[in-house]
Formats: sequence, structure tokens, C-alpha cells
Amino acid sequence: MIDTKILEAAVLDLRNILRDGLVATDIWERSAGLSLAGFNQQPVAVALFTRITIELETSLADSNFPPLSRFYLLDMEGNHTVAVLNHGPILQGMLVDNKRANLGILISVAIPRMIETVARARPR
Amino acid sequence: MDRSVSWTDPKSVALLLSRASGAVQKVRRSARPAPAIADRAAPLAPVAAAPKPPAQKEVPPLEQTSDNPSDRMDALIAWTLDHFPCTGAFVADDNGLTLAAHGISEAHVALVGPMLWAMANVRTIPGIDATAGALLLGVNMMSWVEGRSERGGFCLGTVGEQPLSTRALEQLKVALEVTVGGL
Repeated sequence: MIDTKILEAAVLDLRNILRDGLVATDIWERSAGLSLAGFNQQPVAVALFTRITIELETSLADSNFPPLSRFYLLDMEGNHTVAVLNHGPILQGMLVDNKRANLGILISVAIPRMIETVARARPR
Repeated sequence: MDRSVSWTDPKSVALLLSRASGAVQKVRRSARPAPAIADRAAPLAPVAAAPKPPAQKEVPPLEQTSDNPSDRMDALIAWTLDHFPCTGAFVADDNGLTLAAHGISEAHVALVGPMLWAMANVRTIPGIDATAGALLLGVNMMSWVEGRSERGGFCLGTVGEQPLSTRALEQLKVALEVTVGGL
């Protein structure tokens, strides 16, 4: 069982770190698409990024590239950055306003912290 | 205006001479007397102690009161700017990604990435610490210190006219470790 309380605490921690720079985040099970925790959750984004991540992983494997590691980033119109975190069977998306959130803090602090916390929430 | 003195008029010449001698006496009275030769040969009197350079202000240790990473970085930058001779300061990760900066462009901060990579190679030489240094950037000196935490390496740097002293770099290193240790 995944400890959703730890995930909810992780989302709260993420909100505290990025403050108004965090537009939305969602943590979901990759296989079922079931949302486990989040803030300003976007069900369409869950479906979209599950598909993109699977396509990306398949394409990397088919091209004999190294597999996806911890995360990937998308730079989007309107000062938006999407970070998709690969927690193994769990995926997480973050929509960030990159004018309000510092990308250095996101990449060097928030993402590593989130990866550690989600790992603690997973069954051993 | 007075007419010029006629050299053929003895009275005018006498008056001129008397004025001139009075002026000379005034000048002599006001001028500093020249030291007598004996005085010049005398050993030099002890010179008043040269003024001591201004005592270095004691830098208070950085206190972090927030758990928020952005607040901690901002506090570190503010403390650095307040207590060290610099016009800019920054915190970057070991890839050169800016976590906080004031008075320096992100493009300049980005050079921290290759610089720290080079320093890691320098540290392979036994006995070389290479976790702090200074680099000339055109007309400015960038001084930096490196600190490590569970989340990797971080760099605190300053930009100013002069490189920071080794004492200042030690103080910055402690402050950086206090800051990133709580992330």
C-alpha cells in the first residue's frame, strides 16, 4: 500500500517551497491512472502525461538510448514549465510558473526532496 | 592705482624700501623657522605611531530562521551583501543553475558549473583543497566557496572589485553549509 498521508505531506511541502510558483501538481499510479495526492489537480494532464511518458520511454528504448531517469521538463508557452517525475510505478506532474518559481530551487531542491519522500511512501 | 615709483626720487625709493622690509619681516615671522643644522643632525624623534588600520568588523554568524529554501537563500544573499565587500552575490548548484542571485547575471552564474567541475579535477591532486577561489571576470573578481549537502554541491559566490580574503571565504563557507544543510 502506498502511504497517501506521506504523499499529501509531500505536496504540502512542495507548495511551501514553490509558493505561488506552483500552479498544479498531481501524483498518480502509472498503470491505473489513479490520482493519489495533488493540488489543483488536472485529470486530463494525468492521462496526457502518462501517455507521453510511456511513449518517451518506449522511444528511448527503441533507439537504444539510456532509459528515463528521475524526471523530464517541458518548457511551455506562457512562462509555464512542466516537470514530470518518474517514481517508478508512480508518476508526478508539476505545472510551474517559471517567473514566480526559481528553476534552480525546483531542480536542485524541490524535485530531489519529492523523489525522496515518494520513495518513503511506497511499499518496501 | 598708485603711480609707479620714480627711481630718481629718493623719498619714493626710501618709502618703497621701508614697505618692502616690513613685508619681509612679516613673512619671516609667519614662516616656519628652518631647523638649525644641529637639529637636522639630531636623531629623528620617535614618530607618532602610525594609525592602525581600521579593525575588521566582526561578522555575525548567519542565522537561518526559515525552513523555506527560497527564504534561506535570500537570507544568505542578504547577509553576504551586508558583511562582505561585494556588489553582487549568488548561490548556484554544482551545475551552475542559479538558486538565488543579486547583482550578477545568470549567464555569469552559469560558469560555476564548468568551474566546479574543473575544481573537482584539481582536488584529485593530493593536498589540494580547491573548494574556494577567485576568478577575474573582466574588471570584477568573482570569489566563491563550495559546500556540499545531501542534495549535492552548492556554490556561494560574490562579485566585487577585490577578491575576498581567506578569512571571509571561510565565513562564507560556514554560512553556505548552514543554509544548504537544512534543505
